[in-house]
Order: sequence, then C-alpha cells, then structure tokens
Amino acid sequence: MASTSTLSRDEQVKALQKKEARRRRIPLLPALLFTIVVTQTPFAFSLYFGFLKWRGNTPAPREWIGFKNYTDAFQNMFFREAAWVSILMTVSAVLLSVILGTLIALLLDRKFFGQGFVRTLIITPFLVMPVVAGLVWKNQMFSATFGVINWVINIFGFESREWVSEFPLWTIVVVLVWQWTPFMMLIMLAGLQGQSSSVLEAAKVDGASASATFFQITLPHLRPYLELGVLLGSIYLIQVYDHIFTITGGGPGSTNIPFFVNQRSFGAAFAYGSASAYSILVVIAAILIANFGLRVLSGLLEGEEA
Amino acid sequence: MAEVKYEAASRIYPGTEIAAVNELNLDIADGELLVLVGPSGSGKSTALRMLAGLEFVDKGSIYINGKDVTLSPPQDRDIAMVFQNYALYPQMSVASNMAFALKQQGIPKAERMERVKEAAKILDLEPYLDRKPKNLSGGQRQRVAMGRAIVREPQVFLMDEPLSNLDAKLRVQTRTELVDLQARLGVTTVYVTHDQVEAMTMGHRVAVLDHGVLQQVDTPRRLYSAPANLFVAGFIGSPAMNLIEVDRTGDELHFGSAAVPLPDDVRADLRASSSKRFVIGIRPEHLGQDQNGTACGVTVVEELGSDAFIHASMPHEGDEVTVVVRLDGETEIVRGDQLSIGIDGPVHIFDAESGARLGTPVT
Repeated sequence: MASTSTLSRDEQVKALQKKEARRRRIPLLPALLFTIVVTQTPFAFSLYFGFLKWRGNTPAPREWIGFKNYTDAFQNMFFREAAWVSILMTVSAVLLSVILGTLIALLLDRKFFGQGFVRTLIITPFLVMPVVAGLVWKNQMFSATFGVINWVINIFGFESREWVSEFPLWTIVVVLVWQWTPFMMLIMLAGLQGQSSSVLEAAKVDGASASATFFQITLPHLRPYLELGVLLGSIYLIQVYDHIFTITGGGPGSTNIPFFVNQRSFGAAFAYGSASAYSILVVIAAILIANFGLRVLSGLLEGEEA
Repeated sequence: MAEVKYEAASRIYPGTEIAAVNELNLDIADGELLVLVGPSGSGKSTALRMLAGLEFVDKGSIYINGKDVTLSPPQDRDIAMVFQNYALYPQMSVASNMAFALKQQGIPKAERMERVKEAAKILDLEPYLDRKPKNLSGGQRQRVAMGRAIVREPQVFLMDEPLSNLDAKLRVQTRTELVDLQARLGVTTVYVTHDQVEAMTMGHRVAVLDHGVLQQVDTPRRLYSAPANLFVAGFIGSPAMNLIEVDRTGDELHFGSAAVPLPDDVRADLRASSSKRFVIGIRPEHLGQDQNGTACGVTVVEELGSDAFIHASMPHEGDEVTVVVRLDGETEIVRGDQLSIGIDGPVHIFDAESGARLGTPVT
C-alpha cells in the first residue's frame, strides 16, 4: 500500500471518518427517500399545478401560464374576501382560545377535590370530531327554533335570533374556540405545572400582589407555551373546512381559503390550476400569520424589565 | 432590626396527626444569627416557613419586633428569604431579580438601581447585572439570591439551606462570607441547615430540632460540651460522641472494665433515678490510651493529618461495641493492634429511656 503511506496521518484519519460517515448514512437512505416522497411530492405537485391553466371539466389541454393564477387570485374579489375571512377566523379563534385556555388552566392549576375529573370534562370538546361539533352547535345550540341559546335568552326576555345566518363567521369562530380552548388549556397547564413553586413563594415574600406575580413572573414563564399554542393553533385553524361545511356551507362571509379552494376545484368549478395556486397561498399565509402572531406575542412579553 | 419570637407555635399538616412543628418556643435577639438544625423531617424548614408566612401556624403565635404576625401574609412581614434552589426569577436579569421587591414597594427606578448597584458591589455581582440566571454559575446564583435579600433591607433574613447546592469547597468559603456579611449588616437572621458543621460554625446560637420538637437551643460550644439529651449528644459533633448503653451497678456505671468517674450532681441524679439503663456519652477526644483501661482491638484507622480517629472494638456487657478515639495525627497504630483505652475527660450520662441528661449542665 505505497499510495496510502504517502498520505499524512491527518488525511488518513479524515478519509476514515468520511468512509465511516457514509457507511452509517446509507442504511438511512430508504427512510429519507420515503419521507421525501410522502411529504414533499404532494406539495411539489400543487406547486406545479399552480402554474398551469387546467380546468377539469373541459377537454382543453393543460397549459403553462406562469404566475397568472397568482396574479389573478389577488384580482379575484371572492379570493380576497376568502383571504380576509381566513385571517379574521384564524386570528380571533386562536386569540380567544389561548386567552380562555390560559384562564381555565389557571383555575385548574390549584388543588381541589375532583380535579382530574374536571380536567377530563374540559378536554372533551377537543375530542369531538369537527363535523359532529359543527352539527351539534348548528342544530342544538344556534338553531333559531330549537336552539339552546335562543331558549336561554328568551327566558331573560330577549327575542330569538337566526344566529347562523345573522353571524355566519362568528358562529363558526364560537365553535372553533369551543373546540380549541381545551387544547390551549392543556398546553398552558403543562406550562403552569412546570413553574417552580419556590419562585412563586419568593415573589410572595418579595411582596408581589397576585396580579403582579401573574403579569411579571407567570406570564413571562408561559411565553414559550403561549408561542407553541399560537403556532399550532394558527396552522390548524387556517385549514378549517369541516366546521364551515356543516354550519354555514360557506354562506355569506364565512368562506375561508380552504373552502374556497375546494369550491374552485372539486366543489364545482374544476379549476385545478388556480385552486392549487390558492392552496400554496394558504401555506404562505399560514407561515405569515404564525410568524406575525409570534412576533406580537414576543413583543408583548418582552416589554418590562427592571 | 428586629427580634423574633415563636410562642408555642405549631404546624400540623392537614391529614396528619403529628405536628410537623410542635409548640416551638424560641426567642431570637436583634442582630442574632440563629441556626435551626436537625435531620430531614425534623421540622426545621417548616419552622422557617412559618416565620416567612408561607406555612400556616395552627397553634401559638409568632412575633416580629413585638408585632404579632401569626396571621399576616408574607408581604406584610418585611422579611427576605433565600431559598435552597435560590428561586430566582428565570426570565429576569440579575438586576431585575434584585430590584423586584423594591419595584413592588413602588420605589422609583433611579433609587432601585442605586440600591441594586450597592448590593451588587458587596457581593461582587457588578459584572453580571445584565445576565439571566441561567447564564450564571451556582455560586453566582447563590449570591444573586443573597443580593435579592440584602437589597430589601428587611427586618429579618430567612435562609433555607442556602449553601446545600454548592460544591464542598465553595460551601466552606461562602459560609465564612455569609457570617461576615451578616455581622456587617447586623440583620437578625434565621438560618436552616441539616449540616451540623454549618450550624456550629455559623450560628451565634443553634436550635436543634427533632421530630418537630425543639431539643436544645444554645451556643455552639455549650451544645457540644453540655448536650441536653441523647439526641443532641449524638447529632452534634463529628465523628459523633461515643454512646454506650449500660446497666447500672448500684450507683456505679461501668465503661469496659472500669467504673466511670461521676461528678457529684450526676451521682445524685443517678441515685434518685429509678431507671435501670443509662447511656454513657464520651467524645472521641475524651478517650485515650490508658494503662488501666480496657483492651480493645483496632478495626479502622482514619488519618486526617492533624488527627487520627481510631475505631476500636471494645468488650462490653458480654458483647462488642465500637468506640472512636481521637489521637494525634502522628500515631502509628494500624488495624489489628491492641489498645488499652480509658476515659480522659468529661463524661455525659443520659437516661436510656427518656434520653434526658443527668446532672446539672456544666457551664
């Protein structure tokens, strides 16, 4: 082996390390390929379709039209409206469920008889299928004639209302908040229980009032948990479809982008090209909204020092 | 500046029968450093937390500076506490941590920063004021916790095992710094530890607790030279006092082959006592080689340089007991040697059943 002996010792070691690294990585390759195929192919296809003019209900061939689908999207009044609904729906549902979830978590974070039972009760809405949740709320709660809400407000002398048709967007938000509050509560509860009790005692000894302790110590401690809740909530809630489908069927002012995408493609219009482009926009929007949410949150909590 | 007074203060945790702290009576003078010491479960931390207001006082009262604070929340007691794990506010900088209590009092920012800087100077924390606790070493965190207490200029410092998370060397060093700091500030301090060495080296007076009951409160020297009962005798001192249970032989007690020389007051108590079993307590340094002593086999020799501790097996009441003898470090005794051991100093006699000390304590 005259040739190897000309290499310096360092080079030999490096070559060995490289070989070793390759030897270790090769068995991982199939898993990597599988992951790429499964997760990235659909995305790559929608990306590609988004650049096509492709209508499923005409025999016209697909045609590469570049960014036209995207530019059209922003000129499409219905898309703009759906985008606005998406933002309103996501932001309000995430914020409300985070706030409510935090409040309930604060209540559950103290010891009382039947704590575990109450916690389980509170989690149940999250376990209900979205379609079922939508139907239950639509028929049992919001219904103008049989609804519980109307029954309750009638007792207090208010007139019955057509909740779903009067407030299509906000009835959906109510159901989303109902379903997602337990999730946020779980995250916040984990955060609260991770807080050292002696830190709270130290605050007490330092003379902090309950509200000062909450805003100056507990809330900053909860920050990563709030961020996680906002992030996961935004990603999931921007994709909401089932609730809209069951409650309003996309009625006035309650069509968000995913619902709109479906209408444009399988729903009726068979505009696969532009629908793909819209779905890409949803992904971008999800990233933007989540980012924005995190920024706002960080800004709020960064604030006071010293 | 304040005196602290526990008056028959008890804490009984809900769902338990036995008091965690049982009718504690304790007077702590202004500027005193009092150490509460005891094994785990002795109620020392509970006693401290009662004073802090973090633990409810079920019976009795607690006074700070003559004012009954039994039912006051911690906020109203003007105390500062150093926790075992320091309990620093993790999201705040060192400066904010130290200023937190002042901020709650509504002290303006300029004055807050002034006082924080002063305390930081005392504790050598000036370079770290902008850091977060997670970026500090254990010793620095400990100092921040101290700083947080000092800045407040409270009536009383409460310290709950503040040194137990430090490594051995740093602990010894910080110990002396703490004593010095306390003396300079002159603030009444109640200090909890499970470490009797810490208690003895730091405390002006030391209160020994066991099972929630105060056993003895005295200066370190008197705790050592005149332990009030068997528990204190065994707890204070390292290595521990030799405690050997014996039957009385009339008015005499025998250690090995020899009768124990007893002072008059002890002999009087012994005569008056109806007990059969007694415990002889002898510090390792009060045993020595003695021509007329008892023959013992050496089992272990611990050499510390300045001293050597000889563990020897002594025949006693038809059995063997191990006694520890302190000799000077120059000794050449090794395992397997035979030694003749006798008493060479004061002896403490306790009732084996009640644990009480016999005789009037010497001063």
